[in-house]
Amino acid sequence: MLPDFASIIAETKEEALSCLSSLERAKVIAGGTDLMVKMRSGERYDHIIDITNIRELDGIAVKDGVVVIGPVATHARLGSDAAIRENAPGLALACSLVGSPQIRNMGTIGGNIVNASPAADSIPPMLIHDAMLTLESKGSSRKVRLEDIIVAPYKTSINTRELLGPVEITSLKGYREGYFRVAKRATWAISRLSVAWAISEEEGTFKDVKLAIGSCTPMPFRAVKVEGLLRGEKRQPGIIAEAVRIALEEIKLISGIRPSFAYKLPVLRGILENVLGGE
Amino acid sequence: MKTISFILNGKKTVVEVRDSETLLYALRERLGITSVKEGCEIGECGTCTVLIDDEPHYSCMTLASKANGSDVKTVEFLGTADLLHPLQEAFINSGAVQCGYCTPGMLLSAYSLLLKNKDPDTDDIREAISGNLCRCTGYIQIVEAIKDAAGLCKHNS
Ligand SMILES: Cc1cc2nc3c(=O)[nH]c(=O)nc-3n(C[C@H](O)[C@H](O)[C@H](O)COP(=O)(O)OP(=O)(O)OC[C@H]3O[C@@H](n4cnc5c(N)ncnc54)[C@H](O)[C@@H]3O)c2cc1C
Ligand code: FES
Ligand code: FES
Repeated sequence: MLPDFASIIAETKEEALSCLSSLERAKVIAGGTDLMVKMRSGERYDHIIDITNIRELDGIAVKDGVVVIGPVATHARLGSDAAIRENAPGLALACSLVGSPQIRNMGTIGGNIVNASPAADSIPPMLIHDAMLTLESKGSSRKVRLEDIIVAPYKTSINTRELLGPVEITSLKGYREGYFRVAKRATWAISRLSVAWAISEEEGTFKDVKLAIGSCTPMPFRAVKVEGLLRGEKRQPGIIAEAVRIALEEIKLISGIRPSFAYKLPVLRGILENVLGGE
Repeated sequence: MKTISFILNGKKTVVEVRDSETLLYALRERLGITSVKEGCEIGECGTCTVLIDDEPHYSCMTLASKANGSDVKTVEFLGTADLLHPLQEAFINSGAVQCGYCTPGMLLSAYSLLLKNKDPDTDDIREAISGNLCRCTGYIQIVEAIKDAAGLCKHNS
């Protein structure tokens, strides 16, 4: 049984925002795949505001190299959408690996962001695409970079009166892009380790490298030191070994030494060598 | 309480539900559809699977109010004891049913797959039923059954 609450099925964004601003102990629900589990284990709210009927929060549009994703777009939708597959194939792949078909039909990209799990599959690819979030509350709105909003595992700086609106990502057409995750089994297992990348090369030289790593640190992170090291360098084993060393060092610096690193880091080394070495 | 109105197995259905109740509860306790089973209640077993607009969802983590205005199908939609769906025939013939607890959900995931893909290969089938656990059969007979049914459906259409 769920703890009792009153629910509001919001039909417009304005309605959701005014509920959030006026009601106490109110909480947004999208697909419910994270929130229902939490409520079942005792999290209590007085009001649950369902936002999945709000048309303007759904859908995917591309304009001038920017892909605008509605927060209630599901993982199933992102995994199969032509614009996402074309402009952010790593994100499409990551979303198609989430949970099970049922979880992908229910779970949304907005819920994945706000839940802010270190293992959230959509986050590393969105970091690669410099995702920018719009946060709205009654009478105001602000734009924040995804990497600035997650402050600790499962914690964001989004306040309780705010609604996550559209998520904008930049297209990386012309990049070699991908996503790889290691999980105990394919379905239902959360990622133990995940890597998102986008690399552009010209005649064996790295023009630009974007690399994000999930599940190793409290929040998925962009390996900017590695990116800086490789930019403009010829793709050859020496520099790749150095890049991998820096990535692993950075993880140890952020997280300290963890028991799981004994197996995680050698696996990560192998993945990064393949990714940077061009498979 | 909320009054929700939706299509359940092809019939218009109107029912009063509590704001905080799941679709699983509403189907079982208010509408008598007990083929939708309660297992883990946290999205991990799939025995509560229903089709919403022909796509599989976990009814244990879907608020009943979300069904308003949609098309919901449970295994009753597929066939009756006298007139089974080819998928149901194939499950029986292949020995894909043991205790039966996973079967309604499994059939619905398979049915949804066949709506989209008339000629699924083993990987497509395994992927489509990856959100449904079976503790008895070991899946081989289930995959075989779905393949057989796909062949039959294609042949008939
Ligand atoms: C069995 C199972 C397997 C899973 N497997 C994976 C997996 O492989 N990879 C993975 O990344 N995740 C996985 N998840 C987690 C979950 O499915 C995802 O995080 C999903 O994207 C959450 O989206 P939702 O719409 O269901 O969120 P909800 O549960 O509806 O909401 C989650 C949180 O976000 C808030 N929220 C949602 N939308 C907004 C908004 N627009 N504005 C403000 N706040 C908002 C809610 O208030 C709540 O706090 C799994 C979950 C389950 C139960
Ligand atoms: S009861 Fe819904 S997935 Fe287990
Ligand atoms: S037949 Fe028993 S769980 Fe599948």
